[in-house]
Amino acid sequence: MKRLAFLFVLLLTAAFASPLRAAEEATPTPPERPLDAKAAPLNFAFISYANPQQVARDSEGVTAYLQKYLGVPVKGFVTLDYGSAIEAMRSDKADLAFVDPLAFMMAHEQIGARPLLLEIYASGKPTYHSCIWVRRDSGLKTLADLRGKSIAFADQVDMSGHIMPRDAFVQAGLLSPKRIEGEFFKQVYFAGGDEQAMRAMFNGFTDAAGVSQYALGLLRIEEREQVMPLANSIESPAHLLMARRDLPDEVAARVKLVLLALDRKKPADKAILAKLYGVQGYAEATLGDFAEVAKMAAGYGFVKKPGLFSANPAKP
Amino acid sequence: MKSDPIIPHASRISARRRRIGSRTVRWMRRMIPVLLLPAALLQAHVVAPELFHPVVESYRRATFLLNLNPVLWDEVETETARIAAGLENISKEHANVYRKAVAEAIAGPTALVAEGDGAPGPDVRKEAARTVFELSTRAVADLLTAELEELKTSTDDREAASRCLDLSRQYWSGFEHEIKSTDEPMFREIGLCWLKIATALGSAPLLGQGEAPVDAKTVQEEADEILAYVKTCYAHFRAAKDRALVPVPLSSKTFDARAVIAAKLPPGSNINKQRPRPRQILNLVARGVDERETPLVAFGDMTFDSPLIFGEPARSLGLSCNVCHNKSITNPQFTIAGLTKYPGGLDVSSSFFAPHANNGLFDPLDIPDLRGIRFTAPYGRNGRFSSLRDFIRNVIVNEFNGPEPDPIVVDAMLAYMMEFDFLPNPMLNKDGTLNSKAPETARRGEKLFNKSFAQMNGMSCATCHVPSSHFVDHRRHDIGSVSGAEEDSQDRALDTPTLLSAKFTQPYFHDGSLATLEDVVRWFDQNYDLKLDKTEVADLTAYLEAVGDGRDAYEEDPDVASPAEVEEQNFFMASWEFIRDKGKFDLADLLFRTVAQELRNEKWGLKYAEATEVVERMAQLADAAVIANKAGQIEIVNAKVAEFRQLYEENTGLIAGDVAPGERHTAQAAPIDRPAVQLTPAERQSLVDYVLGLK
Repeated sequence: MKRLAFLFVLLLTAAFASPLRAAEEATPTPPERPLDAKAAPLNFAFISYANPQQVARDSEGVTAYLQKYLGVPVKGFVTLDYGSAIEAMRSDKADLAFVDPLAFMMAHEQIGARPLLLEIYASGKPTYHSCIWVRRDSGLKTLADLRGKSIAFADQVDMSGHIMPRDAFVQAGLLSPKRIEGEFFKQVYFAGGDEQAMRAMFNGFTDAAGVSQYALGLLRIEEREQVMPLANSIESPAHLLMARRDLPDEVAARVKLVLLALDRKKPADKAILAKLYGVQGYAEATLGDFAEVAKMAAGYGFVKKPGLFSANPAKP
Repeated sequence: MKSDPIIPHASRISARRRRIGSRTVRWMRRMIPVLLLPAALLQAHVVAPELFHPVVESYRRATFLLNLNPVLWDEVETETARIAAGLENISKEHANVYRKAVAEAIAGPTALVAEGDGAPGPDVRKEAARTVFELSTRAVADLLTAELEELKTSTDDREAASRCLDLSRQYWSGFEHEIKSTDEPMFREIGLCWLKIATALGSAPLLGQGEAPVDAKTVQEEADEILAYVKTCYAHFRAAKDRALVPVPLSSKTFDARAVIAAKLPPGSNINKQRPRPRQILNLVARGVDERETPLVAFGDMTFDSPLIFGEPARSLGLSCNVCHNKSITNPQFTIAGLTKYPGGLDVSSSFFAPHANNGLFDPLDIPDLRGIRFTAPYGRNGRFSSLRDFIRNVIVNEFNGPEPDPIVVDAMLAYMMEFDFLPNPMLNKDGTLNSKAPETARRGEKLFNKSFAQMNGMSCATCHVPSSHFVDHRRHDIGSVSGAEEDSQDRALDTPTLLSAKFTQPYFHDGSLATLEDVVRWFDQNYDLKLDKTEVADLTAYLEAVGDGRDAYEEDPDVASPAEVEEQNFFMASWEFIRDKGKFDLADLLFRTVAQELRNEKWGLKYAEATEVVERMAQLADAAVIANKAGQIEIVNAKVAEFRQLYEENTGLIAGDVAPGERHTAQAAPIDRPAVQLTPAERQSLVDYVLGLK
């Protein structure tokens, strides 16, 4: 459902104030390459969000497209969660994988995974943020008004459904990174997902929900009118395609080139992007993009060496 | 977080990854539409279907069916069979007891129908429906109870417990709507129980980080509280005698018997407008006239789009003429389970929308295409209305339970509908014959179309579908597609439908029973023994496709739908001065409320967040106009309407998505001042509720 929430970018166009660069014009499509059938295949891990069979079908179209331009056999397989994708990469079963920023940062620390491409959403930017959502009729105006109130997050181990919105309170000086219970809120819940958290707030079970900006799209249209964001978290890089540490640079560069060339204005490319979680396109990713969220995730113990994520990082 | 990377997993609802049981897998298969949701929502105002567990889906559909007259017992049997299959997860015996009891209850009314004794009387029907409803409600309560009991004993296995929690919540959703409406305190109380359980189940780690342990005691305590409520309210459920069959928690101490339960459509329904958006041709616009300068047409366009001209439940469900006849064009996906037989059809004389005008029959009609309607009288599938005006009034009052419309409403709708044109068809000559642009096969088919058949009493297809007269003869005929009330009865005639633009109006026939034009040809071939060979069938089909073709049937870019809808609201506002000068301030209220509602529906489909904000401001100006109009502050209404128009004009590029927020050159709109209306707090609240459509 997290992926689903992300895909609501196609519906919602929130105002971004991104430190990251905006989407650039698509690069020219590189020439096709004859297939070297004897070459070692390139394995892509596709994350499934609700229907693995559909993702598997979509991945076939994507791998066929990539194969045409990469000139080597490209295989895709579906993973059920980020942990599985990272484990597959650790055991050399995956060369590339689609993950969220938190999973990438942990994978980078633990197995040296490299960031290749960030997904671009309808806003035209490869970033997103979380919001603290409240009911419009709650009378709440600022984060400080939530003192002694209740809040629902999605899950404890969740970037946009916990860490980022919780950090908004830290940034406001209302919470320390380490503790929540009894410190500021009367009660904190982990509802089990963005939609459950959003509905808990909408139905008045809790005073607020701290989830992705795109969780608004999980409410029905008439319901959306009744809620509003009280505050936003910092911007995070979008979900991304990462590569294993020792993937040859030439291969990584070629993959980037092929995917960066996808142009939503071309019907054929648009069809490929639809199979790639419906994103608008890709932007090149660098470790430095993750500097700020790495510091944030370090505050919650998920990232151990935030210094790895900078423009000139040390080797993991 | 570790699992086999190639084992399919159906959900990422939670970071608590869990292995999925077979029941859940089946349910997750039903989640497939979710995948299509984001792309669909890009096109705005597309209401995603509510997703239920298959058992709950069947329960809610059966409940809807059981409230209808007539009850579709075959469909009830299908739904209850699915509920019984779900009960097998408790025990086969449990399921069989339910099956037997349902079969006994249904036997009475179904035997009457089977023996040809006609529809069962109301007492027999209602008693059987009540019994099946009660049995099914208890069945869902039993499933919920069983899952919660399993949850209590599964706390040493987070994945299993999470699975139980998911399933329990899904069963709970079978009753949630009614509990929320009638027992708000307990709705909140139980809602918190679910939250506490979800929290107490902790979190699985990601790569060894972030694990939170399970709090078994809290899980068990909260599950017990839910169980107690379910046992009290649903385990021995009896339906109230004095209200519709709905699962209200009658035994709760906090139950409000006077509460109004908002109507809901059953799962499987789809009342979204079709996408891509069909291209509408308004004659006057095609001739270069600005709709803003034709206020009667603009007002008619607004009423055509407004659910507020209808009564309940259509109004609350957001149904308008435009939902079924989107931009005048038939909506081929429109479906309401229990009221639709084939997609694109509806029983408009059912007990659901207008009980007073229910004809007691399940007789859904294919939604007609309204293009060129001024040329196609009489109206109604059986041509029962010679006047379009009478037809419009009947739709409002007797099909959708609306109040008697103001004459201006009907005049305006007529003026608007009279502008609906067929698609231009370059293959047709002025006399309706095909020209050289039509393919050869179609031109061969034209000869067949005009050929007299002895099997049709010497008539040809063209006898009724007169090419030189928009392919209609303005008459009614019994072609044998309708079964009569009795042998030799004279009640089978239907209006001759036009063939123009028909390529885009599938399905076909009055009830939508034929999916393609080829099916139509084959139907005539078989029913009139025309002895057409394969080539002739193909030729005649090609002819129908050529005649029914048209240039640019759909808008090319789906992304224009929402900007175009917002632009329409600006057109609608052009009718304010006309309504004001007529002194029809109740119609102004209709105008402003419709505009505000439509803008809020469409604002989500715009490209830029800034555009969404602008459109929300436009909606707020319409709100302000409602309040000022209500208070008789006409000058303030004038000011709000002027501000509305200015705001739109300044932001057309932004709303269309052609101009990025940073590029636009626009003055900031002034803050919206509420009119200086002297109201008591109660009056103020009443108006706010009114504006929001709550009352």
